[in-house]
Amino acid sequence: MRCEQVKSVLNELIEGTLSEPMRQQVQRHLELCGECQREFRLMQGIWRGLSAMPEVVPPADLHARIMTHVRANTRLREAQPRGGLFRWFGAAAAAATLFLMGFFVAQSDGVQAAFGFGGKRKPTPELAQPVRAGIFVEYRTTSNGARLPVLLARMNREMQAELRYTPPEQPNATPVLLWQGTLQAGRTVEIPLQTLLQSVQGRVVTLHWRSETQSSLLFMPVGYPRAKVASVRLQAKLGDALRQLASLYQAPIEYAAGCSEPLVVLDVQEATLEEALRQLLVGTGCTLVREGELWRVIGP
Amino acid sequence: MHTGAHAGTREGMHIYDYSTDAVLIERFKEGDEFAFDLLVRRYEQKVYQLAYRLTNNPDDAADITAEAFLRMYNSLKRFRGEAQLSTWLYRVVSNVFFDFRKREARHQHLPLEVPDEDEELVELPVPDESVDILGHALQAEQSRVLMEAIQKLPEYQRVMVILFHIEERPYEEIAQIMNLPLGTVKSRLNRARNALRQLLEPYRELFEAESCPTTEEPQEADDALRASQERVERAD
Repeated sequence: MRCEQVKSVLNELIEGTLSEPMRQQVQRHLELCGECQREFRLMQGIWRGLSAMPEVVPPADLHARIMTHVRANTRLREAQPRGGLFRWFGAAAAAATLFLMGFFVAQSDGVQAAFGFGGKRKPTPELAQPVRAGIFVEYRTTSNGARLPVLLARMNREMQAELRYTPPEQPNATPVLLWQGTLQAGRTVEIPLQTLLQSVQGRVVTLHWRSETQSSLLFMPVGYPRAKVASVRLQAKLGDALRQLASLYQAPIEYAAGCSEPLVVLDVQEATLEEALRQLLVGTGCTLVREGELWRVIGP
Repeated sequence: MHTGAHAGTREGMHIYDYSTDAVLIERFKEGDEFAFDLLVRRYEQKVYQLAYRLTNNPDDAADITAEAFLRMYNSLKRFRGEAQLSTWLYRVVSNVFFDFRKREARHQHLPLEVPDEDEELVELPVPDESVDILGHALQAEQSRVLMEAIQKLPEYQRVMVILFHIEERPYEEIAQIMNLPLGTVKSRLNRARNALRQLLEPYRELFEAESCPTTEEPQEADDALRASQERVERAD
């Protein structure tokens, strides 16, 4: 075989697509010809270099940039919630006129953690019975050992409901619609969340739960073991502090916000959740009530 | 309990599992804009990576990525699922890239492509002898030189080299992406490799080294090479 012929089939040799007799001829030539050997090594090096190219890290604002471009050129807009969405502490001033929604906590084998904060609504005379809603999270174990989170929701009468999601990296973004449907009295609807959680980096997912005029926030801890004791040092508004404790201890905490939201300071070592909560609430006028697994903080 | 990868109905309530493209596309067609958001999240990194490798410029890559998803938004309702969504998206990205380059060429009045392999090739800068070519530095230098060389290839060759060698797509999928017969893909890819080899002649020593002594990549690279060979065997 001549060198030119050999060089023309080096890619096929690397790919392994040469016929066996041809491959043997080329190999024999390579053993005897230094120039072709060098050429083969160069081609191999190029193939290897291409395969080993490092991953490209996209810019942090890539998603926002894409969605801005798409929205600017289409009718796609961020889904606007109907009516005023209950805004965590922003709605605290109005909370006195509303009544607390029901809150369900599931805690059994396979149930990891659940907590939420009650929204309130003005009583409307046309409703025969107040609406009570519940949301909680279960982790289901699949046959291959993976644990998949499922959000469960219940209502005590038929109603339309929706679930919105705020990305952790964009806490002020308008929540986007995750699910909507009809809830029926006494029935539980399951909403698989694994796709959502795969893209979540943060410790707590914030889901906005809304049904008719009511809404609430669900802070859902993901992927951390439950803490029995912890050392905590923080200074924050009460709601934020409770959120951090719920995340740290992976425990459900319900906060019925009062008219004001005091700034609190906490500095405890090796404390249980109860000890941390009691220490946190000193001087706030709030009371702490335990109902099974649920810790309820009631404003003054 | 519902954990399957499909949409279903349970006691009169719609339950959607957003874990598959098919469900997301279906939901999008029904007007669920969150499904589009999730699709973007699922593919934005892949799309950006391809765009970056085609342009070697982060801003251009982000622009191409955004435009590709805009095109996806506008045509997803007509997507019939005959190909994988990722394959279809790769095609969209390639087309956006070609358009981008045409527009760029119009504005800058520069030749669109460097001459093909039969003509004179543009030379790359001479390698810097002071560069540490051991271990990671060797691989980093190889990657840098390869990226520069790839940018010198004609657009179609560039797309093929990146899809096959870096994104590790099989020949059949590249044929779908480029809308070309399988044989044409193989022959054009061969021409692209030879063009790339000519461009890398000044860097011969950088690529002739048999391994990178201080990195674990040689094994990985060998594995990747074997994977390429397997893809080739499957294509045959």
